[in-house]
Amino acid sequence: MLADHAKAMQRVCFGAEPSKADLELLGSRERWLVYRDLVRTRLSNVIGVALARTKSAIGDEAFSRAIDEWLATGSPRTRYLRYVPSELAEFAIPIWQRTEAPWVADLAGYEIAAWEVRHAPRNPTPSAEFAFDSKPVLAAGVKVLRLAYPVQNEPTPNTGYAPDPTILCLYRDKNHRTIPRKLNPLAADLLEAWRAADQTVAESVQQVAAAHHAQITPVFIEKLSTLIADSIQRGILLGGHSPPS
Amino acid sequence: MTRDVAGIGLGLRYDLATELLERRPKSVAWLEIHPENYIDRGGRYQEMLELAREDWPVVTHGLSTCLGSVEPFDASYLKELGGFLKDLEVPWHSEHLCLGGADDRFFHDLLPLPFTEEAAQIASQRLTEVRDAIGVPLALENASYYAPQGPDGLAEADFVVEVLEKADAKLLLDVNNVYVNGRNFGFDPKAYMDRIPMERVVQIHVAGHFVRDDGLRIDTHGEPVPDDVYELLDYTLRKTGPVPVLLERDNNVPPLDELLSEVDDLWKIYRNATGADVAR
Repeated sequence: MLADHAKAMQRVCFGAEPSKADLELLGSRERWLVYRDLVRTRLSNVIGVALARTKSAIGDEAFSRAIDEWLATGSPRTRYLRYVPSELAEFAIPIWQRTEAPWVADLAGYEIAAWEVRHAPRNPTPSAEFAFDSKPVLAAGVKVLRLAYPVQNEPTPNTGYAPDPTILCLYRDKNHRTIPRKLNPLAADLLEAWRAADQTVAESVQQVAAAHHAQITPVFIEKLSTLIADSIQRGILLGGHSPPS
Repeated sequence: MTRDVAGIGLGLRYDLATELLERRPKSVAWLEIHPENYIDRGGRYQEMLELAREDWPVVTHGLSTCLGSVEPFDASYLKELGGFLKDLEVPWHSEHLCLGGADDRFFHDLLPLPFTEEAAQIASQRLTEVRDAIGVPLALENASYYAPQGPDGLAEADFVVEVLEKADAKLLLDVNNVYVNGRNFGFDPKAYMDRIPMERVVQIHVAGHFVRDDGLRIDTHGEPVPDDVYELLDYTLRKTGPVPVLLERDNNVPPLDELLSEVDDLWKIYRNATGADVAR
């Protein structure tokens, strides 16, 4: 039966160890191990590209072990090769939090976020210019990342990273590269509110300022204007959606 | 409006896109893309496709809607794929006659179907289902395989013909795959071609392959096209007439001039074999 055949192929390619019974059902131990190798190599390669610094930090053996365990648990579930590294990261980062140096999980999280920003969908098209009384439109894939270690600084030091809490905005620039930009906590919350796009800019500014016990003074407004102008110039903030008239 | 796809084309791949899109060589008459690499994706891939479409007709070749799986299709994906193909105005779309996943897991590789009546029945039904869902003509592609088939199955060519006829389908004939399979399993590639209903062929693929130390040939798309594959292409084109031919190069991508030299060789074979004088 084709269904039995397909399940045996799946177990041979993804299982921790191909069983003798499956290899016998499929007919050629040697040749099906070729397939196992082809399938696993392709997946490992794309994951290794996305998480290159993490792989280098923890070593090939630990990295391969994480992939083997992930495959044995029932992945990949995505048809898109570019999403495979994200599936692996979702599985492996909690493991690396327990087993590796404390900054490794931050590094892996940063690398995978950068990968996702780079491969994010097309940007939405705003229906209006940016305005305080409209809902903001951000570029696709913009992420705010709160890190305990400054893993965006390259190269990775031989001694690892010392703690230094950092908030980053990751965005895709006009050359399609992922760029990290440092943010203060208030700016990060504003950007996250704008990404949610369920309030006008004015509403989100008032709410975030209140949450941070910040008065909306001329100095605040000057800093806000700088943040908005910089975000527009970088292509983070694309414009707005006018409220229905 | 659908643009004519004729002559020699090239796969639009990330590694060669920058130089290809800058130079826009006239010898490349059309381009092929994998829709999975572009659907719901912005950035460089979006830009590559937009730039490519300024000058070239584009056809699509799927990687993940494999025709041999036993699970139901993801209807939302087929809808998305159909919309993407409609926007691109492709003359046809192609998918592999293989098994790409099982139990909702994707291999991200093309695994072989057993050449049985059951598999032919399933593949032909699925082909019809996909074709109806996406709303454009659908061709299947014969795949390479490395594991020997069971003793009770059909010959590969008979299996392919069975699926084509059951589904009344078009064929993307991969000449390199026929050659690789012939060498790996000891059949005559020309006899295979003689068995194929050439009126169903809408497109041809050629590529290079890797030969392992033990002699097993792997369809890597990472080597230059060998002379034997050129010769088989010539034999095939004399039977099909002037159907478009794509040079596939996905790995170990050389400088563009090396690929264009292969494209020129393909044009010579194409013109000699078919008498067609196609230009972009």
